[in-house]
Amino acid sequence: MMDQSKIRNFSIIAHIDHGKSTLADRLLEKCEAVSQREMTSQLLDNMDLEKERGITIKARAVRLDYKAQDGETYEFNLIDTPGHVDFNYEVSRSLAACEGAILVVDAAQGVEAQTLANTYLALENNLEILPVFNKIDLPAADPQKAKQEVEDIIGLPAMDAPEISAKQGINIEAVLEDIVANVPAPEGDPNAPLKALIFDSQYDPYVGVIVYFRVMEGTLRPGMKVKMMASGASYEVLECGYLRPLGIEPCQELSAGEVGYFTASIKTVKDTSVGDTITEADRPASEALPGYRPSQSMVYCGVYTEDGSKYPDLRDALEKLQLNDASLVFEPESSAALGFGFRCGFLGMLHMEVIQERLEREFNLNLITTLPSVIYEVDKTDGTLVLVDNPHNYPDPAHIAEAREPYAKVSIISPPDYVGNIMPMCQERRGEFKDMQYLDTHLVELHYRMPLNEIIYDFFDALKARTKGYASLDYAMEEYRSSDLVKVDMLLNGEQVDALSFIAHREKAYGRARRICEKLKENIPRQMFEVPIQAAIGGKVIARETVKAMRKDVLAKCYGGDITRKKKLLEKQKEGKKKMRSLGTVQMPTEAFMAVLRLDEE
Amino acid sequence: MKNNIDKHLGIYVHIPFCRKKCDYCDFYSVCAYDDNLLDRYLKALVKQLDDYTLGGSRYTVDTLYIGGGTPSVFGGKRLAALVKEVGKRFDFTRDVEITVEVNPESADKALFKQLKKAGVNRISMGVQSSCDSQLAALGRLHDFKTAENAVLLCRKYCINNISLDLMYGLEGQSMDSWLESVEAIAALDPMHISCYALTLEEHTPMYRRDPVLPDDDTVADMYLAAVDKLGALGYEQYEISNFSRRGYRSAHNSRYWDLRPYIGIGAAAHSFFGDKRYSTVRDIDRYINGILSGDSVVDEADDVAVKNRSGEYIMLRLRTSDGIDEAEFSRRFGSEFDNYAEKLKKYIPTGHAECGGGVYRLTPKGFFISNTIICDVLDI
Repeated sequence: MMDQSKIRNFSIIAHIDHGKSTLADRLLEKCEAVSQREMTSQLLDNMDLEKERGITIKARAVRLDYKAQDGETYEFNLIDTPGHVDFNYEVSRSLAACEGAILVVDAAQGVEAQTLANTYLALENNLEILPVFNKIDLPAADPQKAKQEVEDIIGLPAMDAPEISAKQGINIEAVLEDIVANVPAPEGDPNAPLKALIFDSQYDPYVGVIVYFRVMEGTLRPGMKVKMMASGASYEVLECGYLRPLGIEPCQELSAGEVGYFTASIKTVKDTSVGDTITEADRPASEALPGYRPSQSMVYCGVYTEDGSKYPDLRDALEKLQLNDASLVFEPESSAALGFGFRCGFLGMLHMEVIQERLEREFNLNLITTLPSVIYEVDKTDGTLVLVDNPHNYPDPAHIAEAREPYAKVSIISPPDYVGNIMPMCQERRGEFKDMQYLDTHLVELHYRMPLNEIIYDFFDALKARTKGYASLDYAMEEYRSSDLVKVDMLLNGEQVDALSFIAHREKAYGRARRICEKLKENIPRQMFEVPIQAAIGGKVIARETVKAMRKDVLAKCYGGDITRKKKLLEKQKEGKKKMRSLGTVQMPTEAFMAVLRLDEE
Repeated sequence: MKNNIDKHLGIYVHIPFCRKKCDYCDFYSVCAYDDNLLDRYLKALVKQLDDYTLGGSRYTVDTLYIGGGTPSVFGGKRLAALVKEVGKRFDFTRDVEITVEVNPESADKALFKQLKKAGVNRISMGVQSSCDSQLAALGRLHDFKTAENAVLLCRKYCINNISLDLMYGLEGQSMDSWLESVEAIAALDPMHISCYALTLEEHTPMYRRDPVLPDDDTVADMYLAAVDKLGALGYEQYEISNFSRRGYRSAHNSRYWDLRPYIGIGAAAHSFFGDKRYSTVRDIDRYINGILSGDSVVDEADDVAVKNRSGEYIMLRLRTSDGIDEAEFSRRFGSEFDNYAEKLKKYIPTGHAECGGGVYRLTPKGFFISNTIICDVLDI
């Protein structure tokens, strides 16, 4: 059994681009867990998409053996965490599996929004936080200033913290020694009833789900019958072991304080959701570990294939992704305009984008996605509660007693110069100002309560645009509030286009309806007849545009007997027509339709 | 009757030379030429005519059309010689229509005299506009006065069957100035008027200049106004862009729209002959050298039996005011017109098409979106 006092479980937390993945790579190298030859850049980020976006989408963990200066060999478990607000819950569970966290701060940039947000998350989980100042090789690096910021803003002693360059491999040993000295060793009784925390799981086609967990109490062995306390599912452990950078390494047992994996021919990651507690079926723990929360979709949209015949491929692809991503939910829906597709739920906008990109890249699908929507709560006059994730299902206003929309806590950190740009922007989006704090003379933090609906479309992009990229955003779902909501239908030539309906606050409905009408007008080619574009709430038209009838499409000269050329010209037109999508009686190029769906608020 | 028509042939001769190319034109022509080249070109034309007399065949020709380019730069003498050489190899019908395109600035007494003598009985002249600034913007070499004089001169030499071309949708052209042009042209009392919407063709100087042109709605209004005006002045519309006094339709162009055979002589000329559509190379030197050395000068060819050309027939007939007669269609192609008729009927309530006595035709409003309608009807 591993000596608990030699175990160090830790995460690395950082603002995006502050060098988290690069530092992880250096730690792996220094522990000779990976040879230089095997070292591909940013090893922990396996997916292509992660490498490209520079973000870690799924948590990963590795066990490293570190021979410290005191002559002892320590077992390091590095648990990597996703770095985006959409995955806050996953981050919190990964952190709960650790005793310490390395806080990477860019010595040139200093403290940023996610530095704070992640630090708070780590503090909530009672972690020992070890600041590290990275990128000291950059000319703009000012480690002293960054240290002062950490002390002033976060209140962590930072003056003696290592100053490193992960990129250049400078001073990495200092980080390792810091971990040995300052990350507390785990505690927990190896003989107590089993209590292990699931922080990730991954589907493997050969062995089924591989569950990543941290043992808090007791010991897990192959052959043991285990039970997931939240999902209730039971399995017999087939294999358990350590997580190595280049694969898994089976072992006899994992006991309190250790991090590893087990397999048990589990068919779906749904049964082993993040945050659930693994216990022994025959000798269960009296209570589960705190903090479990079933994953909750915040944003929904319809996902369709451009080519309707690819619908089965889309279903297969979603099923495959879901094997590995319990937070992705979907159910079939159909649209008159778009055919058969799925209504998919996502943790947030990033999650949505990532899934869409994976569907397009890994499964070679061309997608059309509808405007994202949040979930609205509607109390009907007959006393029933309806959750609406699709405008199509919004009840008739006559049957609505009260409608509620989700609000989020929003925190924006920015240089003070941009406050004048940010505040009106939040106001436009129905933001409710809470307070503003100067973090130091260079940074202020603004707190708002804002409808989630206003955040999901383009708030982040608009914020970046109006602050030259300096502001950072963090948000978390808070509560449902009563709201004056309306459903707006779009009509083309008098026929409703279901894919374009949306739910909005009454005050915002008109503006958005106008913009969609204008965009449709821009994008719908002239038809044989005049096409009225209308936006309507119930039966009342609130905005209108008209696409004038086509009047000129002619080859004036058909002369000199060149009939072949004329035929070719007509056939060229046919190629353009192929990509047309029928919205009732109106023909529209698919691309144009997508342009309308990509509505931006500017 | 039908067999009789089939034995007849139309001949188109392309004269690909211009003093200066108009800024909007993408027809094949060159501006660098000398007498030697023109002589060799004539020689090649004559030799190519020989190909159609091999094996002793002798066709009857009821239309001869000499177009360009600018045929008038070929010179009256060569044009007259050309007509004569055609006459040696083909039998002209008694009412043969022999047309030569003439540009106003190259029209003179000698030219008309020689053409008249050679038997040319129809002159087609590009006037384009009565507004001199619009003519300049098109890159034309004449003003309106010159065009008026050319028409008078032509009549003086007893060629009375005159066709004049007009263009609309021009840079800086208003509805008023367009109707002025239409009236000014009609005042010259030609037998035939063609009105073409300016089409901005790629690879032309005008295209590169990216001019500001009237929008589609305005151009459509100009078109419909011209149809009305010309109708009121006694010119019947018989094709999208063509209008004539009763009995003066262009017999030659009508061949194109009725799938009747014609042969194209010269570089970049198109033929529809013996169930084949083909064209000659768009290159004067390759044409001359090929013809004189006996090599093939065919550029593109498609061979589809006439009975399988129902789609082409529909495409072309829908350009004409005669439209498509259901009975004639099934007689020619051995299949029913019903499916096409169903599609065309959709356009009747919107005023784009009309139907009477088994004949379907587009209205002027329909003509102007005929591409869309034809694609829909033919399902392309």
